[in-house]
Amino acid sequence: MKITIYLRESRNEIKRLIKDPVLLISIVFISGLLFLFIAFPLIKVFQYSLWPRGEFSAKYFVEFFQRSYRWRPLINSLTVGALVALLGTVIGFIYAYGITRTDIPFKRFFRTVAIFPIISPPFLIALAAIFVFGNHGVITDLFNLDWDIYGLDGLVMTETLAYFPLAFMVLEGVLSKVDPAMEEAALDLGASKLRTFFTVTLPLATPGIATALLLVFIRSLEDFGNPIVIQGDFPVLTVEAFLAITGMYNMPLGATLAIFLLVPTMIIFVVQKYWVSRKSYVTVTGRPSGAGLLSTEKHAKYPVMVAMIFLSSCVLLFYGVVLYGSFTRLWGVDNSLTLENYRYVFTVGGQYISDTLTIALIATPIGGILAMIIAYLVARKKFLGKGVMDFVSMLNFAVPGVVVGIAYILAFNTRPLQLTGTALIIILVFIFRRMPVGIRDGIAQLQQIDPGIDEASTDLGAGMFRTFGRITLPLIAPAFLSGMVYMFVRCMTAISAVIFVVSADWQLLTVALLHEVDNADLAQAAAYGYVIIVIVLTAIIGLRLVVGGLLGRRTTLFQPE
Amino acid sequence: MFRRLLVFSLTAALLFGLAATGFTAKKTLHVYTAFDVDEANIYIEAFKKSYPDIDVKWVRMSAGEVLARVRAEAKNPQASIWFAGPSTSHIAAAGHDLLDPYTESLAWQYLPADFKDPEGRWTGFYTGFIGFATNKEFLKKHGVEAPTSWNDLLKPVFKKEISKAYPYTSGTAYTTLISQLQAIGPKKLGWDQEDEEYIKKLSAQIHHYTKAGSACVTEAGLGEVAVGIAFSHDIVAKGIAKGYPVVMSFPKEGTGYEIGAVSLIKGGPEPQLARVFFDWLMSAEAQSLFKKWNRVPLNPQAELAEGLVTAAQVPVIEGFGGQITWYGQRKDEIIDRWRQITGR
Repeated sequence: MKITIYLRESRNEIKRLIKDPVLLISIVFISGLLFLFIAFPLIKVFQYSLWPRGEFSAKYFVEFFQRSYRWRPLINSLTVGALVALLGTVIGFIYAYGITRTDIPFKRFFRTVAIFPIISPPFLIALAAIFVFGNHGVITDLFNLDWDIYGLDGLVMTETLAYFPLAFMVLEGVLSKVDPAMEEAALDLGASKLRTFFTVTLPLATPGIATALLLVFIRSLEDFGNPIVIQGDFPVLTVEAFLAITGMYNMPLGATLAIFLLVPTMIIFVVQKYWVSRKSYVTVTGRPSGAGLLSTEKHAKYPVMVAMIFLSSCVLLFYGVVLYGSFTRLWGVDNSLTLENYRYVFTVGGQYISDTLTIALIATPIGGILAMIIAYLVARKKFLGKGVMDFVSMLNFAVPGVVVGIAYILAFNTRPLQLTGTALIIILVFIFRRMPVGIRDGIAQLQQIDPGIDEASTDLGAGMFRTFGRITLPLIAPAFLSGMVYMFVRCMTAISAVIFVVSADWQLLTVALLHEVDNADLAQAAAYGYVIIVIVLTAIIGLRLVVGGLLGRRTTLFQPE
Repeated sequence: MFRRLLVFSLTAALLFGLAATGFTAKKTLHVYTAFDVDEANIYIEAFKKSYPDIDVKWVRMSAGEVLARVRAEAKNPQASIWFAGPSTSHIAAAGHDLLDPYTESLAWQYLPADFKDPEGRWTGFYTGFIGFATNKEFLKKHGVEAPTSWNDLLKPVFKKEISKAYPYTSGTAYTTLISQLQAIGPKKLGWDQEDEEYIKKLSAQIHHYTKAGSACVTEAGLGEVAVGIAFSHDIVAKGIAKGYPVVMSFPKEGTGYEIGAVSLIKGGPEPQLARVFFDWLMSAEAQSLFKKWNRVPLNPQAELAEGLVTAAQVPVIEGFGGQITWYGQRKDEIIDRWRQITGR
């Protein structure tokens, strides 16, 4: 019975699609793109791992469990991930609590500092850690420390600093949306503020905390830049997979390691998308919830503020030392100041700057528009396989960059899809890897807009494209723009996926930076890092001004992840 | 307004794309190099000055990475010439049939047999010796001498104070490994019992492994580790000459050397331009530039750097030149054994 209803419904849907050829073509086109550039490369990873020479062989899978030097990196990665997720979320919570729930001063300052790690190449923090805590680091020399930064300690420290801002952003949103009426009710019933915090505020924020934990865990697990700089004798899986491909040309091994990296992140992604996010308690009322309850007691707010000042000082110290280092002649030996490193970046690295900018400027608008089209289809249209499109388009959000990179060279290295060596492959990596954030924001925004507005346009005779271009797109402009800014920033700072697809013709700044770190030329690396930061800041501020003038209002232009 | 912005950005994107696919008049040569970026830049800029109509696009990778990349691209090579890196990596590539022979060059004809492939698939153009770069401040602080023997590296004072590169990514590290295999224990080629024991003990002394061979010189200079194992020219150019407090020493049991080689990548997109670069690289004019990096040129007419370390001053393993070829042909299995012993 059910089946016949289902069949009839599908038939009706197909009929409806045939009547709307523009929609049909868009769906087919987008599905084709998603399959080709997201699903197909991942299929290739499995194929290379389990059918290395066209025949089934689980050799590398078996080896993974047999040899300690194969499985230990996975344990190491998971250890680092768990510690970083825990620490990062605690710090993020303190930060979010301080900003949303207390009346401490300098909130703007704290928030700005928390943005730093997001707009710079992630592994700049590892570089900074060497400048500060290395055997010849600033703090090491000052306090005569005997602490080895290379290894687990250093990884946890650098990744916590790099990824706590993500937890902060998630939790800030959650804490500011918890309905104060609930807390007030608890207080009115005679509970103390502390009791209210533990029995009302915290439970309400639990889904947000879970999301933050999982998000930071994924980011730490897939981090490549920090470990390759600072892992020392504590190998993690991303770096092992990278070395298997670039150092050993062992594609089946690289693909196998990629799968072991993929499994935990996919589990987390599915848990987050289909379970945690359904348990949200925050937007139940629909009324403006107003500001939450503020803690103004000294014993509550000062510890929070001290913790925030301490953390912000750490971030500032790290970035400050790197800035100083970028002007030194020979870090650690001859600290006299010079502009030589920047001259080097603009002469030797001039080509990298223009390549990176070109690629970013092509990828950003295409990715931004594509993301909005997908968001529109998913949020507004009904069609067969919509759930699949939603899932696949968000997939790369959870696939580690190293896996994407490996997947792309496996999939696009031979005819007829010979793309290695071109700018196109780098652009495609950026678009399909960074689109999910734009899609998610676009869907969120569309859900807040009455579909009646679209329908009115259609009823008046406008086609789908016209409606999308004239009505929908302007309405979701904030999500469109923040998605593009996000994509641009990632084009300038990402390394883990693109390191596999750069070529002699097309090089990127982050890869050049990594080479300098590779060769331990720290001052030149620092100069590269700051050139990237300046470009990113200029772009964000510039866009903010342009868009502010265009839309006549201020928009939050940077919405990370 | 918004739509206009959209149209504008799309048009701009298209134009960029067109410009990117490129119809430039200049001929372009694609090069993979195993030299450091700042060093490669010296030679490539000089080449471009001599041949203003040729543009050079290049990528720097460690020698093992170049080998991996050339293998990966075998069906569709992206570069025409592989510039620098120890001959062992080039020999391995020749073994996979990835290189084109080139025997018409003058250099191939003047070079002694140890410094070139008999079939001309790779040609040497400099040499350098494996040595130790040790931080002077560390030595003073602990009151010890710089290591002068492979066994000195096993002393407790150097525990977790040594850095070297992975032998599969770095040509330096592979040359170090085969030097150890030859200098320690019986003189036979390949692994023996004593080699395995030594490597096991040594790996407990290593603080961390790097991807690029020359990085450990800077790390020793910075005091991040006490000893870096690297090539003499890198120790001089990246350590001593830059002002880092490092001393250079060599193992008295004998050390190995690299024959820095160049080869033409089979099926590369610009075979003619690659030969132009090849011939230029073999000239005295080009090899005199090695002064800047303290490399030992193989062109007898090239000028030498002042105080250059040559074979006369270094305890070189007897017959090493011939052994290099043997090890180059067995790179994969030698490294596989190393990974099993060290677990790295």
